[in-house]
Amino acid sequence: MTSVAAEAVHEERSRFRARLDSWTSPSGLFIAAVLVIIALPVTRTIQDPDFWWHLRAGQLILQHGGLLGNDPFTYTVANHHWTMHEWLNEVLFAVEFAIGGLGLIVLVLSAVTWLGLFAIMQKARLRNPGRGVLGLGMLIAVVAGFPIWGPRVQMITFAFSALTLFLVERYMVRGGKAMWVLVPLFVLWSNLHGEFVIGLGFMALILVAEVVGGRLHMPDPAQRSRLLPLLYLLIACTAVSMINLNGPTILFYAAGTQASAAQQSLIEEWFSPSFHDWEVLVYGAMMLSLAMLIVFNRRIRARDVALVLVTTALSLQSARHIELFVAASTPVFIDQLALATPRMRAALGRLRPGPARAPARTRVQPPLLFRLTACAMVMAGLGGVYIAWLVPKMQLQPYSLAYAEEFPVCAAQWLAAAPAPLRIFNQYGEGGYLAYELSSHGDKVFIFGDAALMGDQMLETYASAETVAPGWDSIIRRFGTDIVLYDINTPLTDVLDHAADWTKVYQDGLSVAFVPTDKLSSVKLPPVPHWAPGSVCARQLKATSNTGAQNQ
Amino acid sequence: MRRPDLLVVAGASADRRASASRIAWIAAAAIIVLVLTVQPFSNSDVWWHLALGRLITTSGIPAHEPFSFLPAAHAWVGQQWLYEVPLAGLVGAGGAGLASLVMGLAAVAAVVLAALSIPRSSRVGGPWLAVAMVITGVALNSVVGVTSAVISVLGVAIVLFVITRWRDGQTPAIWGLPVLFLVWANMDAGFAAGLLILLAALLLMPRADASRRRQLALVLGISAVAVLANPVGPGIYASVLSGVFNPGVAQSLAGFGTPDFHQWWARLFEAEVVLAIALWTVSGGPDRFSAITGVGLLIATLYAQENLGLLAVFMTPQLAIHGSRAWARHVTPRLQRRSGTSARHLHPAATTAALLALTAAMLVALVPRVSASAAASYQASTYPEAAATFAGDQFPGQRIYTIDTWGGYLAYRFPAGRIVFLYDEPAVFGSNALALYQDIDQLVPSWVHVLATEDIHHAILPAEARETAALHVLGWTVNCYDPTSKSLVMSSPPSGTTPPLTGLAIPPPGVPGC
Repeated sequence: MTSVAAEAVHEERSRFRARLDSWTSPSGLFIAAVLVIIALPVTRTIQDPDFWWHLRAGQLILQHGGLLGNDPFTYTVANHHWTMHEWLNEVLFAVEFAIGGLGLIVLVLSAVTWLGLFAIMQKARLRNPGRGVLGLGMLIAVVAGFPIWGPRVQMITFAFSALTLFLVERYMVRGGKAMWVLVPLFVLWSNLHGEFVIGLGFMALILVAEVVGGRLHMPDPAQRSRLLPLLYLLIACTAVSMINLNGPTILFYAAGTQASAAQQSLIEEWFSPSFHDWEVLVYGAMMLSLAMLIVFNRRIRARDVALVLVTTALSLQSARHIELFVAASTPVFIDQLALATPRMRAALGRLRPGPARAPARTRVQPPLLFRLTACAMVMAGLGGVYIAWLVPKMQLQPYSLAYAEEFPVCAAQWLAAAPAPLRIFNQYGEGGYLAYELSSHGDKVFIFGDAALMGDQMLETYASAETVAPGWDSIIRRFGTDIVLYDINTPLTDVLDHAADWTKVYQDGLSVAFVPTDKLSSVKLPPVPHWAPGSVCARQLKATSNTGAQNQ
Repeated sequence: MRRPDLLVVAGASADRRASASRIAWIAAAAIIVLVLTVQPFSNSDVWWHLALGRLITTSGIPAHEPFSFLPAAHAWVGQQWLYEVPLAGLVGAGGAGLASLVMGLAAVAAVVLAALSIPRSSRVGGPWLAVAMVITGVALNSVVGVTSAVISVLGVAIVLFVITRWRDGQTPAIWGLPVLFLVWANMDAGFAAGLLILLAALLLMPRADASRRRQLALVLGISAVAVLANPVGPGIYASVLSGVFNPGVAQSLAGFGTPDFHQWWARLFEAEVVLAIALWTVSGGPDRFSAITGVGLLIATLYAQENLGLLAVFMTPQLAIHGSRAWARHVTPRLQRRSGTSARHLHPAATTAALLALTAAMLVALVPRVSASAAASYQASTYPEAAATFAGDQFPGQRIYTIDTWGGYLAYRFPAGRIVFLYDEPAVFGSNALALYQDIDQLVPSWVHVLATEDIHHAILPAEARETAALHVLGWTVNCYDPTSKSLVMSSPPSGTTPPLTGLAIPPPGVPGC
């Protein structure tokens, strides 16, 4: 071996050893632990009521071999054209479900969310914060996002947004060509979820902020020469987004949702976060701390200002946008925290004047084998905790008790035995589950969670019936409803209970059903089931009898 | 070479012109703010405050809740008697228009005082003061009007003004603060915010010497004791705390909820906060007192939107000081490099003419709003005036159900006989009474039972309310419909009547007007 080759090998070994020392140090172990810990809150059971119709839509797309054209689930807006902006995601749901059931979908979406968090961390690392600050910032961010985590389609946009921001920032800081990976990713993203325009918006925002920030002499601007390629990237990503089964109109789809007054005022996830709710308190604290850190440091990049402002405004408008705040503002939060840390340490030091500084002690690291063993044990322990957390969530089936307490599982089982298809007036959040369970039976629902497909007029009409506004009865009847299936203890069911021209035909622990008395003879209903003791529905009846309806 | 005495004369003249210009800017902004703060009786609580004011004038402060037939869980607090009595006097003397004007002027006074709460060393120009005042006026627009919140907005402005002067070395004014708190605590619960601001000033202002800090501590202590001179006595602090942290209050009163950022005014609040943070950042940063008090008030506003007024007033001097500093630091040098000119003041004649024109425009906008006919028209379209008259004539002394925001109006119309169900004073009614109201309002399964046990046979309701349709299902009949306020009077059916099989149409066909 020549001396040059030996030197190279030695250098390689030294680098490897240094990396090993770094990752087995307490700070390295802390970051590794954080990476496992942040996976816990993002791994949940399916709570998104829209999940079920996405799954069913995916199954139908596979059956038909193409997009569905019109709405297949409702008897109210069946003539509405359906822009299936999430078609690829729905197909993936159907495939995953066929292979591994709900468990595989939970696993995949949890992994996607975790990858989004990993991309956020990678972006934050570009500015070299200390590991303590990095880990702390990530832990705060993942708790701040608590209200929105869980297996849902939106997590695709979260992960892709975080990845887009990471790749763009990497380019702005280091240059290189990695950002062009975004072009194929946008083809994928635009077929997975209609909110891909957020990624385009982030790129445009960064461009504009850098141009304006340059004029205002804001700190740490990107090299001017890097702006033009970013513009080309934006144009390319916009162009390839149109490679989509829905065509170029997909670009404007998300704008329609954001501009819909009915969706914003009637659908809970579009409401502003309430700071009386403990779940959003950490998000609020993170937002305020970030503002104070910016004032304290008085040093922030133009693109960071733009991203923080826009995602703060969006997340204050609608709780569902907290994910965008976490994706875009967490690296800024970590950066600001890192900037403030030395000043805060110095200030604390001034507050506690002690004896003259003792001479620095050399920290002796334990032997590598000991560190490796300790790390392996800690990581194995954390991994074990995560697996213990994950497995029960993966084992749940659509008819499990956990879902039967949230969705009309038992009522759907009852209705599936009906001899003829029914038109069901349902709760907005349960239309998806009923469509999933009963559309193959030919049943149709009044409404389900694709608000854009329903249209503002239908949402307003439904809201009038749900809130028992005068005329509620005629709204339900004029569409030819056969049966009302709704949660117990809601205003509508309590009024129906007293209405002389409606007859109660079914009740379980979650749902109650009424039929117009004049239709009682013509609507063919199955006999009311007697759930076997110990069955899911018998347990649901017992479990929810005192708690009332949860899923409005 | 000019003589030195001529230089002094020239300097004094320039100072006078600068001062006159500053006053003109403040006056112009105050006129604009007045147009924004004079409002009709849009806050429905005004009615039960008025009813109480009249009651206290004749019978003293009641020991128990005086209007509702529900048993109130807690003794009547009566803490706001000093707001309620003058309010009733104002309305008695000059109608709703006079009350609107006086409360609007109080809000303007708060904004002006807040704008003047600027250290003399800051040398903030008139335009910055005016801009800050107008921003505050626009932000206040959604929370002021005829409401006791204006008292707290004014109180906070006075506290800020006095603290600023105290920091400037003018100490006597702070001895007026205990009197302010004594009056304030008898008008609105927001006095607690004033005490906290005073505490923050004591803890966070480093430049004051020890004797002045002791002085401020003494003033704070006396003020904290002075507020006990109140009908509630020492229980006033517990009363304030229970109001702030009672989940039932937050649930039933919109003002205690988080702002809805779909509303334009909440976006405006957000924009004001962003502007303040941006100005703090580019102007060298706020002092500790401003930073911590500002963040505290921001948290309070995110928690309960009715605190927006306090935040807006606090932000007025911040926007003026830091806007002015940021301008001087970043823009003025560039302008001077380009044009080489310094600041100019308007000619006095032009200033006077502009002020007169603005005043005339303000009068044109304002006078119709405070007229008796405007107040009557607003009242008739916003509150169930005709329906209450009908119910008073047809069902005298009988219990009436209505929504909580109209409960106060019915208390005003029917102060005797305890025929009102509930109005927006949840801290007194307690959770049991609130639950009874919510049973009917939210149509919880026991709602029919509540109607029966509380012996309620009549209701005055908005036509589109869910209770209207629900009562119709029970067979209640519509006695009259008022198209002006879109309200109706309903009554329970005689026993044995068959419930209707058809839905309720609005306006109900064949039903007479109220």
